[in-house]
Order: sequence, then structure tokens, then C-alpha cells
Amino acid sequence: MPKFHVYWIFTKKAFLRSAVYRFDVWSRLGSNLIFLLMWGSIWTALYAGREEAGGISFQAMLTYIVVSQFLTGVNGAGTPLWEIQEKVRTGDIALELMRPFNVPLRYLFADFGSVTFYIVTALLPIYAILFIFMDFTLPTDIITWVSFIAAAFIGFLIRYCIEMSFGLLSFFLVETGGIEDIFYFAMSLLSGSVIPLWFFPEWLAKIAAYLPFQGIYYIPNAIFIGEIAGGEILLSIGLQIFWLIICYFLLRLVWNRASHKVVVQGG
Amino acid sequence: MPIIEVENVRKDFMIAKRETGMMGALKSLIKREYMRKEAVKDISFSINEGEIVGYIGPNGAGKSTTIKMLTGILVPSSGNVLVNGLVPYENRQENAKSIGVVFGQRSQLWWDLPTIESFELLKEIYQVSNQCYKKNMDTFTEILGLDEFLNTPVRQLSLGQRMRADIAASLLHDPPILFLDEPTIGLDVVAKEKMRTFIKEINHERKITVILTTHDMEDIEKLCERMILIDHGMKVYDGEIAMIKERFGKIRTLIVDLEESLHSLQLLGGEVCKEEGNRYWIKFNRDEVSASELIAQITKTHSVKDLTVEEPAIESIISRIYQEGYKDLQVSAKV
Ligand SMILES: Nc1ncnc2c1ncn2[C@@H]1O[C@H](COP(=O)(O)OP(=O)(O)OP(=O)(O)O)[C@@H](O)[C@H]1O
Ligand SMILES: [Mg+2]
Repeated sequence: MPKFHVYWIFTKKAFLRSAVYRFDVWSRLGSNLIFLLMWGSIWTALYAGREEAGGISFQAMLTYIVVSQFLTGVNGAGTPLWEIQEKVRTGDIALELMRPFNVPLRYLFADFGSVTFYIVTALLPIYAILFIFMDFTLPTDIITWVSFIAAAFIGFLIRYCIEMSFGLLSFFLVETGGIEDIFYFAMSLLSGSVIPLWFFPEWLAKIAAYLPFQGIYYIPNAIFIGEIAGGEILLSIGLQIFWLIICYFLLRLVWNRASHKVVVQGG
Repeated sequence: MPIIEVENVRKDFMIAKRETGMMGALKSLIKREYMRKEAVKDISFSINEGEIVGYIGPNGAGKSTTIKMLTGILVPSSGNVLVNGLVPYENRQENAKSIGVVFGQRSQLWWDLPTIESFELLKEIYQVSNQCYKKNMDTFTEILGLDEFLNTPVRQLSLGQRMRADIAASLLHDPPILFLDEPTIGLDVVAKEKMRTFIKEINHERKITVILTTHDMEDIEKLCERMILIDHGMKVYDGEIAMIKERFGKIRTLIVDLEESLHSLQLLGGEVCKEEGNRYWIKFNRDEVSASELIAQITKTHSVKDLTVEEPAIESIISRIYQEGYKDLQVSAKV
């Protein structure tokens, strides 16, 4: 049984560590805003002055992109994947296997720390300003806010499990070059991070519906702008939890295989 | 009661053969060929509580592989390992609490944290009580001089500082067993000496069992009474260092400086093995002739300016074993 006290320490340390790398925070925020600007312009052009498209108002669509970009910032602030891959590759991960804690859980809690730091010091202030000065659709009731935060958090966990599993999986494939690009492209497309699922052609929407990626961006975004509302919220969060459980077991499986390989092969 | 038991342990690594060229790459996609590398072939030993044992052997002998199996981060291909009553690789996290480990080649501290924060992190991970933490930190700071770099990030530490930090970190949770894989590698003479003093002291005061690998025979000579010598994954010697000296150390060297240089120096029971100007190195077997007999022979005909008798260092014994093999040496030592 993991003792959460131990993991909490990693959260604290990662939070403090982020403070040391402030430049990192600013450069990350910079590129985040550039992408926001880019996608904002693209969608403005696509709407071409129309008030609404596909039943979604321009204002709601813009809000969707802004929230999505905010969550992209949140999801990207943890330990970079290559750092863990590198540790597995060099066998350094073995040194962590020797400690009395669960390694994936330790990285997750460390991510909580660095992500919190990034949200508090960079994302929240900037996006708050955006919301104050621009005309976006803000949820008006507390239930939507709470559901959004819950959905975003579950989405974060889903992404963590998927990305970590993938990162560890690449350890078994000899050369991953191309696969990695395809994976990230698929994740960004099918999660609805830049194009909401309702604009997908039917066949693609069907594929997306049967995959866990929608839980990362699409569901929280859509809850935020009120596209998913009422009883549908519970249903969507239920779906997220379903995928989270599956992705968790996937991660466990891959992790056990990877660490097994390390202890048998010596990394 | 042995605290560490290793029984007929073997470790093979399967190394994937790298095929060259396009065809090779395609072939390896379908079927990869593996090469078996026997890192440890068949090793058994047991170590009692409170011992310091030197685990030595030439490069690639299988020392680090053995240590890794004892820590649980490598699974033996066959055989049994028992550390403090546990099978390490089956109880990695439990085993972690009763061992301290230092790999001289790579630090286990958090790279970008100030050293003190690594210690604090370890305190939490191993759930060391405040009182115990303070006691240990005070002791380690005093002996190892940690205070000079506690606030420096680990990546900025010098090798010697890093090694001191690493060994202190490995002992924070009061483990009864300590594994040291080349703890003096790359250290200067003074730092080595400090490290040895520290190891000796914690072994003495806390009765910690220590296994130590090193290429510096002075470490062995100063720290260990027992040594296990391995080569090509096999144990070739396991016993007291005094014994090995006794057995192989019969050949001594007498070094004399004469007033005049000679054409040749003929001695009964001794053999000149090297000369340089007026200085002669004379090898002799202590069982056949005593040093004083040799000296008497020389002074009869020559005037001697200076002389010394060299005991064989364990260093030279070991290097002979590496070169000639233990068995051969055993035979030659008898005659
Ligand atoms: N992960 C691994 N995969 C394949 N072969 C390995 C692996 N680790 C070690 N070996 C091989 O096993 C043998 C023993 O290695 P080991 O590291 O135990 O030697 P050592 O006695 O510690 O040597 P040194 O004194 O150089 O540190 C070597 O031939 C090495 O190449
Ligand atoms: Mg080694």
C-alpha cells in the first residue's frame, strides 16, 4: 500500500524545483501563447465573420480553443517524457527501482508539483487577464465549474497514463522515430485539442468516440463552454473514469514489463 | 549467523546482435539473434554480520553484477541470494530498507537539488525519525565535512564531494548492510584516506556489514580482513588477506645500494632481478634464506651504503594472480 506522505514530498520538491527554472516557465508560456494566437486566428478565419457554425457560436468556439490551450499548458508542464525514456535507456531507472516507492506514482506526484507551480505563476494570471479583457463564454454556475475542474483533472491523469505507457513501450521497439510522431499527432487530433469532435467527419468522429483521447481535452473543454451539460456531464465524466481505469492498468502492465526487462537485462 | 548468503549464483545477459546493412536491419526486424554473455558463472559465499569483505577482481569480472543482484535490481539467472533474510529481487522495496548502496560510478542523489534537499528527501522516503536524522547528519557532517557543500546542487559537486554525499546518503536510514561499488574511484590520496577512515568507523561503531569492490588494493589492505577474489565470473579465492600474503608473500626483495658498481653479483639463495647504477634488487624466498644471511654474504665482499627489505604488497600479489591465475600461482608457491 503506497504511503502518500512519501509521494507528497515529491510534489513539494518539484514545486520548489520549478522555482529554480523560472526561465523554463517563461519560454513555455511564450510558446503556449503563440499557439493560442495561431489557433485563435485559424478559427476566426474558418468562421469568416459568421456568428455560428454547426450550431456552435463563434464566441463558444473561441472559448473552446482558449480553454484547450490552457489545458495543453497544464498537461505539458510535467516531467518531459524523454527524461524518463533516457533513464530507462541508460539503466538509471534501476536506481529508482531500489527505493521503497512506486516509480510511476512518484513521477505523477512530482508532476503535480511542477504543474501547480506553472499554473499559479504563469497560466492562471495570463489566462485570467485574457478572460477579463476578451469576450468569452464563462460558466455561470458552480456545478459546471466543479465538473470542468474534475474533468480536467481526470483528463490529466488519462494523458499521464497514456503518455507514460507509450514512453515506456518505445523501450521495447528498437527504433521509434516515426511512431512517436504519429502517436503525438493522433493524440492531439483525436483528443479534440484543436478541433472539437463535432466538426469531425463521421468516420473520424466514430474512431475518436471509441478511444480514450477525448477524455483529455474534448470533454473538459465541452463542459466548460456548456456543450456538454446537465445529465450528460455525469455520463462524460463516467466515460473518463472508465478510460482512466483502463489506461491505469495499461500503464501498470507496461511498467511491470519494462522494469522486469531492466532487472533481467540490466537496462 | 550469515547476514548475506549467495549460493551458486549465475547471471547471463542476452545481448541482441546488431546486424549491419539494410538486409541485416530487415532480418533483425523478423528474428533477432542473441548472444549469451555469462557475467557471473557460479558464485557462492556467505558473509557474517559486522564483516567488511573486499570483493575484488579485474575489469569485467562480475563484481558490479553481483552487487546489483544483492540490491535486487538484477535478477539472477539461477541460484539463490538471501540478504538479511530476504530474497532481494522479490522484495525490492523491503530489501531497500535494510541496505545502503553506493555506486561510485553514478550518483543516486537528485541531480539538480541542493545536496541537503536530497538528504531531506531520503529522510522522508525512508521515514527516518527526526532524532535519528539529526544524529546521523551530525556524525556524517563531522567525519565527512559535509557542511562545506550542503547547499550546492549535486551536479556542481566535485567527485570527492559527491562521493562523500553519496555515502552519507546511503547510511541515513541506518541500514545494517552497506554495498560499496568502487567508493574510492577517482578520489585523491587524502580523500581516499578519509573515505577509508569513515568506512572503518561506521563498521566498527555500528557493526554494519560491508561489501566493498575496488581496484585500489590499499582499500583492501586498510579495511578488510577477508577478501573474495573473482575472475571471469568465478570465485578464485575467499579467505583472509593475511593468508594470501602468507602463502604468496614468501618472495621478498632486498634492495641494496653499494659503494661501487659491480660486474655481477652472485649470491647463495638470492637472485638479482634488477639493477640500476649501484642499486640492486635481489629476490629471495624467505623460507630458504633469511634477509640477514643475504646481507652478511654481501657485506663480506662489498661495502653497503644503504639497504631495505620489501614486503610484497597485496597489490603485487593480486596483479600476479590476475596475470598468472590463482591455480598456477598455488602450484608455483609450493615449490
Ligand atoms: N546490462 C548488461 N548487458 C550485457 N552485458 C553486461 C551488462 N552488465 C554487465 N555486462 C557484462 O558482464 C560482465 C561483468 O560486468 P561487471 O560490470 O559485473 O564487471 P565488474 O567486475 O564490475 O568490472 P569493473 O571492474 O570494470 O567495474 C562484463 O563482461 C560486462 O560487459
Ligand atoms: Mg564494476
